[in-house]
Amino acid sequence: MSTATARVAGGRPARVRRPASRHSLTKGSALGLGVGMIWFSLLVLIPLTAVVWTAGEGGLGTFKDALTNKQTFNALKLTVLSSLAVTGVNIVMGTVIAWVLVRDRFPGKKLLDLVIDIPFAMPTIVAGLVLLSLYGAESPLGLEWNNTRKAVLLALAFVTVPFVVRTVQPVLEEMDTDVEDAAASLGASRATTFRRVILPTLAPAIFAGATLSFARAISEYGSLVLLSGNLPNRTEVASVRVYSAIEGGNQQSAAAVATILLLVALVAIVVFDLIQRRLARRG
Amino acid sequence: MSIDVSGLTKTFGDFVALDDVTVSLPTGQLTALLGPSGGGKSTLLRIIAGLDTADAGTVTIEGREATNLPARKRNVGFVFQHYAVFKHMSVAKNVAFGLEIRKRPRAEIDKRVAELLELVHLSQFRDRMPSQLSGGQRQRMALARALAVEPTVLLLDEPFGALDAKVRKELRDWLRRLHDEVHTTTIFVTHDQEEALEVADEIVVINDGRVEQVGSPDTLYDKPANDFVMRFLGETTDLAGQTVRPHDIDVSMSPGVAGSTPGTVTRILRVGFEVRVTVTTDDGAEALVTMTRTLARSTGVEEGAKVWLTAAKGATAVPVMRAV
Ligand SMILES: Nc1ncnc2c1ncn2[C@@H]1O[C@H](COP(=O)(O)OP(=O)(O)OP(=O)(O)O)[C@@H](O)[C@H]1O
Ligand SMILES: [Mg+2]
Repeated sequence: MSTATARVAGGRPARVRRPASRHSLTKGSALGLGVGMIWFSLLVLIPLTAVVWTAGEGGLGTFKDALTNKQTFNALKLTVLSSLAVTGVNIVMGTVIAWVLVRDRFPGKKLLDLVIDIPFAMPTIVAGLVLLSLYGAESPLGLEWNNTRKAVLLALAFVTVPFVVRTVQPVLEEMDTDVEDAAASLGASRATTFRRVILPTLAPAIFAGATLSFARAISEYGSLVLLSGNLPNRTEVASVRVYSAIEGGNQQSAAAVATILLLVALVAIVVFDLIQRRLARRG
Repeated sequence: MSIDVSGLTKTFGDFVALDDVTVSLPTGQLTALLGPSGGGKSTLLRIIAGLDTADAGTVTIEGREATNLPARKRNVGFVFQHYAVFKHMSVAKNVAFGLEIRKRPRAEIDKRVAELLELVHLSQFRDRMPSQLSGGQRQRMALARALAVEPTVLLLDEPFGALDAKVRKELRDWLRRLHDEVHTTTIFVTHDQEEALEVADEIVVINDGRVEQVGSPDTLYDKPANDFVMRFLGETTDLAGQTVRPHDIDVSMSPGVAGSTPGTVTRILRVGFEVRVTVTTDDGAEALVTMTRTLARSTGVEEGAKVWLTAAKGATAVPVMRAV
């Protein structure tokens, strides 16, 4: 195959990007950055530091005490495992719901689109009441899940439904179906197209939603206290432990549990981001 | 052997996008699907590729009944107007996609990708991401990606439609030369008559979901089947119930020729070497005549002059059928 004749004169050299200078900010963006940092510090950094500080005052011992306390340990374990499970469910179900909302046509689609946000938007204690009346004693569904671990999962799943849906939905809407057609014409099955073309595009959105959903789940309180019964070592979650520690006047122990939750959240953010990057690059 | 489309009908709700289309596209040739926007070109191309399904009719690709074959089994390369690149893959990965799907050995894939990138002049960009390429480069990458799987047919839907005029012309010439080397049966959609006339071996004119005419560029230009085809292939004007080309009208300053149409010059416009003369005929219609500056000068055409118009000998003319 001779290629000598096929020449494109228009192979313009790629424009050399002006290297973004790192040290000079325009006045506008300097102001923006300053205001942003102050706002963020006041709202987030300072209170966070205070919590970590309080926890740290007692030295590492406080953390050790917190973790060796069986009841606290079990509460943390239940919280993290339930949150992970619920986040896993959300990754799958949220993506499916977003897909259905964007790609399929069915009666009641508009309504579903509206209703999705309700679990997130309603006051959590109201959510708790709703769940209690549906799954509590004398459940109209015949599902008496009160005072069981199922109640924790249910409440967490309920309040975190919208996260993945709402992060994935706009990305799916923007996604060009041409790309899927291109993959199909190149011989890819639907499954392969999903795995190699669609998923990498959706991964950042899915994991952004998953991170939000996980963070919300490990900190959830209102929606599950009523249904779960807060049975020590069985259905008690970490936020309830924090609450009762403060009730009992043990600020340091509360701060220690809070700091551990904070660490778990940070680790989750990093891990989710790593998985996401991996998925987005694969293809 | 060829691509045979027979009795193809496609509707979107009440709207008929393709109306009983039957056409045979010869093997090894570069065929243009030409027609106005909304005429059904993309729809036809997508049905041939299996990306859409027809309501009725059959598609046969190189003797193989393909009507019910899914896109991935048709071995058809498709190039989209807006590139449809895999954004998260490098240029080389994009091109390798079809081969990886086919589970070819790594060494073979690498070799083929290198060859193709050479062919489309993107070798030095193999590790770039598509977002770092210009539009023309992206489209060449898309072309290499489609060619990688050695498709039986290559379908291009307005491949250069999103590019500026200059790059577009270069790529069009390049496509022609590429086709002369690769010889894959190629169908490309365009609504640019110049592009079709210049590049294609064969042109299929499609309008309103129907095939108006099939033929070589010369046939279409010299023997248009109807005034739609004629109008679509270049500038036309109406003279004495005929559609003719403005440069095919003889202007005379005296009523010498029998059957000539008398009129008055109402406007003269000089554009470069060309003079565009608007003549209002005695029955009130307007006709456009173009001629060279030299001829205009020697004939003595000027505004307000009385002239007689006749279609030149051997001029292509078809009866006026529809309102413009
Ligand atoms: N998915 C669809 N739903 C409804 N109508 C459609 C759909 N796809 C195409 N059409 C209609 O079918 C007709 C033919 O469309 P098609 O895309 O084939 O035109 P085209 O000849 O490719 O035009 P263009 O040159 O503008 O790309 C158009 O009027 C279009 O509105
Ligand atoms: Mg089109």
